[in-house]
Amino acid sequence: MVATTGLPAPEISRPRSLLVGTMFSCAAAFVFFCSVIGVYILERAEARDEGAEWFPRDVIELGPSGFIFWTLILSVFTVQWAVQAINADDRTNAYVALALTGLFGAAIFNQMWFIINDTGFALAADNAQFLFFVVNGTFIVFLIAAVVFVALTTVRALAGQFGPRRAEAVSSAAVAWNTVVFMWAIVYYLIYITK
Amino acid sequence: MTMTDSPPAADTALAAISPRVVGLFDALTTTDHKRIGRLWLRSGLLGLLAATLLGVVLTIENSNSSPDDIFGGINSFFQYFNLYRFGLVLLVVAPLFVGLATVVVPMQVGATNIAFPRAAHGAVWLFMIGATITVVSVVSDGGWGALDGVTGTERDAIALTLVGTGLVIFALLMASVCIATTVVSLRTSGMNLLRVPLFAWSMLVATSVWLLTLPVALGNLAFIYFDLRGGPRIPDETFGIAEGSHAIYAQIAWLVEQPQIYAFAIPVLGVLGTIAPVVAKRRHAQHVVAVALIGLFGLLSVGGWSQPWFQGNNYDEKFVFIIFGLFAVIPVFGSIGAVADTIVGRSSDSDTDSAVSSDPGASGESGFAGLLSVYGLAAIGAALLLLAGTVAGLARVIQPWDLGDRTTETSVMNLVLFSAVAAAIAGIWFWAPKIGGHELAVSTGRLVVLDIVAGAVLLGGADFVSGFFEAPAFGYHVVGSSAPLPSEPSNQGFVEVMNVVGTIGAVLIALGVLGVFAAIAKAMRSSDGVDDNPYGGQTLEWTTSSPPPPGNFSEPPERVVSEAPLLDTVNENGEEA
Repeated sequence: MVATTGLPAPEISRPRSLLVGTMFSCAAAFVFFCSVIGVYILERAEARDEGAEWFPRDVIELGPSGFIFWTLILSVFTVQWAVQAINADDRTNAYVALALTGLFGAAIFNQMWFIINDTGFALAADNAQFLFFVVNGTFIVFLIAAVVFVALTTVRALAGQFGPRRAEAVSSAAVAWNTVVFMWAIVYYLIYITK
Repeated sequence: MTMTDSPPAADTALAAISPRVVGLFDALTTTDHKRIGRLWLRSGLLGLLAATLLGVVLTIENSNSSPDDIFGGINSFFQYFNLYRFGLVLLVVAPLFVGLATVVVPMQVGATNIAFPRAAHGAVWLFMIGATITVVSVVSDGGWGALDGVTGTERDAIALTLVGTGLVIFALLMASVCIATTVVSLRTSGMNLLRVPLFAWSMLVATSVWLLTLPVALGNLAFIYFDLRGGPRIPDETFGIAEGSHAIYAQIAWLVEQPQIYAFAIPVLGVLGTIAPVVAKRRHAQHVVAVALIGLFGLLSVGGWSQPWFQGNNYDEKFVFIIFGLFAVIPVFGSIGAVADTIVGRSSDSDTDSAVSSDPGASGESGFAGLLSVYGLAAIGAALLLLAGTVAGLARVIQPWDLGDRTTETSVMNLVLFSAVAAAIAGIWFWAPKIGGHELAVSTGRLVVLDIVAGAVLLGGADFVSGFFEAPAFGYHVVGSSAPLPSEPSNQGFVEVMNVVGTIGAVLIALGVLGVFAAIAKAMRSSDGVDDNPYGGQTLEWTTSSPPPPGNFSEPPERVVSEAPLLDTVNENGEEA
């Protein structure tokens, strides 16, 4: 018989506070995003009701923004790959998946920079161009925040802080990342497809 | 043998440092939720003092026919009037409740600390920086727009006001995430959401509503700022920063008007629901109902949708706005009814509860006696003020009365916000042993409560009555109008009398606030100890010492089986189990 009386008490399961806090933060960020995109929709509808041109014709191309969309779709798979890998205690795959997600983030930032320069829009030109900058700027801010979150999670993963019983931070990073992807899906449809 | 003690030189070096320097270092680096909460409370109380003194000056000026006497012009008056409104919401009420929650909520749910303590600490300093920037920029001719044209310098100051306000809102959002997460994920064993103490529950509801509405204000501010700093500056109400425009105020005024204003008073119902069973010395008779009513009040206070960009300037004529205004009274009235049931003791299980009360002599009478405690008086006063505020809000949405754009709006704001102030004072008096390890003076406290409640009734009541005589709500009157000055009310003489009544109310409130500072100063000088549970509290924060140790509890709380864990530890003979 094995004596158990001398063993320490089992570790209390870690509360999922980071995941809950991330969800609250993402909800607030999404409300902020909706308040910005809501103004865009209203102003555009008002301009079209008056028969005015919203964006100059043929300035906004669908290609570069489509690249961003599909890159983000890929990143959804990589970030979920990281969650699955860390839950399976497969560290190598987790590192690769997190690094790829961060890399996709950097690529999207680069592509955004190209789009903004390519359009040649000016902040002070008119309502449409002003709103173009504000909506895309809002997305870039949240993209940067998500990339930083993923980068910090990667560093902590490399330090061996996560495993099957402590995968909360990776799941939280995935929630934040997926929120940003959803934001871009809205921006892509409203600004780049329906213009 | 291995030496593990600290070398003596280190102790000497620490002892040589001034206690003030150590205190400052602690304030800058602490992750203890009680210290962080005290920083919030000090900020909120300082803001309260400044706002009430500003309120006195504004009401004195308002009693005159000309706004030039004290402020030197309509523009300056407009700026300080807005500072009073936004300050009372963002720099007073919100930080007071955040401070109380930061101290109390982790203990109430049996946690050793608040969730994300470093973020909570960062939030309070960000708040103080933002608040300072906001106030300084308004004093430097900034503010939320101007009436008589904007010069280049004023434009810079306005931009600074927008940055300061944005920082304040961002800090409140950070603190909200910490508080909400604490309630959701750090509850002790056995404490499901229906067993969460009502104050913690109300803060979960309030912070959730703030997280879903304040970002809309942040979005508004971002738009206005970027337009101000290089946008198209369309000369209409589009983004609200055209030359001479007052429309910045118009676009974020929804923050200080119904229904959003109710969101800052949600914790009033939580304070009431927590304190009432203590003064009644029995369980809350309708705990689950109270939980539902607080949730309903939260739903009816979501006001981000009423932003003028989304609804237009006539949003107050829309069906949703009217429904929100009509129904907001119900949860407040219901919560007061549930508390009355608790205090009068007509609940079906009141006999059982009084039998297991920690006070064997507990009865309905002792409940009435407990109402005369400072926190009891303040909690009841706050609830009645909130009821008055929601009733005024109900009158505001009755279309035939046409009370929009009149002082009725100011009345709703003052009644609701000072109900929140009274509730915060109830909380400060009630939880003082846990906040600072002292009890606050009873005699001073009763005067404070009397002053603030009576002052709020006079201030809000006078504006409410004036609204029926077409007295215009300053600022709102000018939206969409070319006239920079308020129009004349139908009975100027009567409205001027009401303005004097309002001034008396503002003076009473200011005296009450000075009383709060006097009571706190007296308590801080006192060396008297205080019991762990001096008032017969029923929730977990009263199981620890006063003041609580780091980590809050010397040993983890036992499994919770009801919303009043301390009553569960007493057996039928009134003895500790």
